[in-house]
Amino acid sequence: MLQSGQECLVNIELPYTLGFGWTPVLRQQAAETSKESTESIVIPTKKTWNKEAVLQALASSVSRDPTAYPYQFQDDPYLTPRSYAEFQLFSLSQESGRATAKYIVNSNPKFFTKDFAEPHIPCLMPETVLLRLEEVTEEALKERISLRKVKAAVDMYDQLLQSGTAVSKETIHDLLDLICFYCDKDPVQEEAPELADTVRDELKRRKGRFRRASELLKLTWKENNSAERIFNLLPERDARCYSALIRGMVKHGAYAKAFNMYTDLLNNKLTADVHTFNALISAVTGVRETYNERWALITELLNQMTQQKVRPNLLTFNSVLKVLRYYGYFSKTQALQTLNEMKAIGIAPSLATFDHICAAFYKSVSSGSSNSDILQEVMTELAGRSFTCQDPDDVLFFSSAMKICLNGKDLELGYTVQSLVEVGENWKLLGDSYQQSIYYGRFFTLLCMMEHIDVVLKWYRWIIPSLYYPSSLGMSDLLQALDTDSRLDLLPTIWKDIRSLGHDNKPDLVEMLLGLMARDSHSPEVQESFALCALDVKTVVDEKPRFVWSALSLSYITTLLLRANRTEEAWKMLQLFKSNNRVPSEGLLGNFLSVCHSEGSSQKAIELVQLSATLCLSATGKLAKQALADFKLTEKQRAILFDLETTGEPSE
Amino acid sequence: MSASYSRVLLSLGRLNFPRLGLQKLTGRFTYATDLNTNSSSGKSKGLPEGKKRGQFGRRNKRIAGPPRTEKMPVDQDWAAVYPSATPFRSNSVPLPVRMGYPVQRGIPPEKKGNLELIKIPNFLHLTPVAIKKHCEALKPFCTEWPSALDSDAECDKHFPVKVKSTDYVSAGPSLRNPSARIVHLRVKLSSLNLDDHAQKKMLKLVGERYCKATDILTITTSSCPLRRQNYDYAMYLLTVLYHESWKTEAWEAEMTVADMEEYSWEGSPSQKNILDILLRMKVEAEGDADEVREKLLVRKDVEEYRDSVMRLKNEGENESSMLQYKEAVKKVLNM
Repeated sequence: MLQSGQECLVNIELPYTLGFGWTPVLRQQAAETSKESTESIVIPTKKTWNKEAVLQALASSVSRDPTAYPYQFQDDPYLTPRSYAEFQLFSLSQESGRATAKYIVNSNPKFFTKDFAEPHIPCLMPETVLLRLEEVTEEALKERISLRKVKAAVDMYDQLLQSGTAVSKETIHDLLDLICFYCDKDPVQEEAPELADTVRDELKRRKGRFRRASELLKLTWKENNSAERIFNLLPERDARCYSALIRGMVKHGAYAKAFNMYTDLLNNKLTADVHTFNALISAVTGVRETYNERWALITELLNQMTQQKVRPNLLTFNSVLKVLRYYGYFSKTQALQTLNEMKAIGIAPSLATFDHICAAFYKSVSSGSSNSDILQEVMTELAGRSFTCQDPDDVLFFSSAMKICLNGKDLELGYTVQSLVEVGENWKLLGDSYQQSIYYGRFFTLLCMMEHIDVVLKWYRWIIPSLYYPSSLGMSDLLQALDTDSRLDLLPTIWKDIRSLGHDNKPDLVEMLLGLMARDSHSPEVQESFALCALDVKTVVDEKPRFVWSALSLSYITTLLLRANRTEEAWKMLQLFKSNNRVPSEGLLGNFLSVCHSEGSSQKAIELVQLSATLCLSATGKLAKQALADFKLTEKQRAILFDLETTGEPSE
Repeated sequence: MSASYSRVLLSLGRLNFPRLGLQKLTGRFTYATDLNTNSSSGKSKGLPEGKKRGQFGRRNKRIAGPPRTEKMPVDQDWAAVYPSATPFRSNSVPLPVRMGYPVQRGIPPEKKGNLELIKIPNFLHLTPVAIKKHCEALKPFCTEWPSALDSDAECDKHFPVKVKSTDYVSAGPSLRNPSARIVHLRVKLSSLNLDDHAQKKMLKLVGERYCKATDILTITTSSCPLRRQNYDYAMYLLTVLYHESWKTEAWEAEMTVADMEEYSWEGSPSQKNILDILLRMKVEAEGDADEVREKLLVRKDVEEYRDSVMRLKNEGENESSMLQYKEAVKKVLNM
């Protein structure tokens, strides 16, 4: 523009500054020398980066906040879930809300025509889910395939066949893939309202834990369904059609048929591809019973694979190892051989590989040390690496590794596994919230068992409740750890956490907590805090209508209140004994009596003995005797006590 | 929900009725008031008696947990709590702030549920520690500053033209901001090669865009929709101004006195007047009119007078220029 040929002008160059508001507008030439300066000004070339690089760099400077709630919820103590059940409920309801909104947007596109977002965000605008083409053409068939409408596609194909139109090979392949993948039924989103009802009925029937909805709605391959029908009608069938059918059959449980189809394929002198072989290998457990037979079949398949010059991939080896897991005696050697072959071919093992290998070496809980050795070697190999998910079974690695550490009581190994989880993005491989809770549950149990209480508390604050909502078992483990290291003064704070987690309706846990508090006597401040905590327990538990008081819990509370010199409240507790039909122990009543003696209230002593009489306790006689001896009583009181003593004695 | 609620009220009323044991009329009256109080307490959602509520199967209302500030350790990483610009959340900020007008001589309201704190922008995400971390993270995107450019003067010498534009970030459905297209171009006129006539013409052409104090010409373009277009237009304007100011058009010779920027004494009424006065005063004796005029002009006091008048007219009236004029007049008129 300006610079060439205008010697009267001084360089009109633009400075490259990265200050706020100055645009770095720059030519790509490296060196522009000025006319009379001593050194030449070297302008560096501009760096380029992709759109998200700056954001990613800034994000890398931020670490995790241990007190934060899970990111998908509102940051408010009222609106966040406090227990695992609430977490599931809230996240599922969020997802269902989103799905509903998406459904409404897609089914009423005429209300959502205006595009507010600049630049355009495609996922916010309605997607075409309704069919446009109605005529019997191949285009209409392709449209139905792309919109995943299985039944409509099958109908359209039948109509095309009847009308005599030829359908191209790719479309047939796509159609077969579609039918086999969805097992001849339309995918779930289509029929959302009706299917939701069926799901709810299923859930009512099966009360047990359901992890994936797909487990409930497992589809089975029906005899002579559309896929087989269309397949049989095809004039020529190539390897791709066979492959679609075989994989569909394996996916939906028709293993024997899959193998028959495979023999068909071999008879027609076609070669299967690697995905077909993977499917067949994973189907081996369904068609053969003993391990030897299974292994023989697998070796045969692998030989055929090499004969047909099909190169195996990661999933092949993972499927082989999955079968070998349960092989029994030979599993270790075979597993290692498979691993060596994998490395020889040059396929990098994924986490699922290591998971299967560890499982193959894992014998039982008793022989703990030998299990950890293999895991030790695996961890040294994996140290510091970050992984991506290449196999659906990758997510099971961490929880099984932690199980091995827990059973072998190996704390160091547990720390190694946790450090691998903290590398980069490996936390994504912990799986869904259920797998994550299993992993952290096992890790926390290991820590409570083996580690010093300070470290346990540090980890407690780090992972709870932002990453893990402990179950009542986890909390009882924590209580035991506190007991082992005699940090019982922390019990009131732990009670607060138990309350917020929603475990305060579990009588065993409450009893354990109260028992630990009441077992020994401590310094006065601690005693006072225990008494307050006990009162809190009582108020909280009273509000729950179905909670059943046990005698031990009640006596623990009374003991704690007595020790902190809160006799009024302790007296009220005694009344509770009667109303809940529980019997206080002898020691408790003796304790109470001595407290009454130190306070000097003889009327209370009388009432106490009367109470024990109404409860028909064997200790009434002794109590009456003691009361007579220790207290200054009026005549009337003496008379009552004499009665009680005498009535108490024959019952002994 | 309302059906069960009314059922509850009726049964509560029935419970109360025999307990009171009063006359029928007053009993009904207290029945009614008891209903009212119970309904009001129900609406205010307290938990009056746990057992009663339990009887009618109503679940306990969810209470808010403690704010998470209680769990925050003193040495936590604050940049993790507020990594980016977010509104103020009272349960995440462990500071006892208060904001608002103290009503009736009270104190400003606390932070919980305080809309005033949420409305204002906060910079909790930009503590000095956080800024340091951000700078460290952004260093790989930067290149080295050329070592030869170590002072402002050097920068001005080698890169006299400076371009400025602003990027805007805001939360909303659209990323675009129309103000982002504005481009400011600044250049010092002393760095452009302009002779006297070119300078004067340039100043006339740009008018208000020139700041005399700093000698900077600022061209602001915002007429095109895109920033690149505005930048190109600004550079084009600079080029055109430069070339145009060097050209001399034919009609520039028709410049009148009113167009001139500076006052020049030659040919002005002031010169005519002083010469007339001096002629009449017969300072110089011989010679005809033209020679006398020339001699007069060369005289020192006339030159001083000329200087003082030019100064007055160009600089404006101030103390020193008026004094100078006074002295010059006194000398010329021999007072």
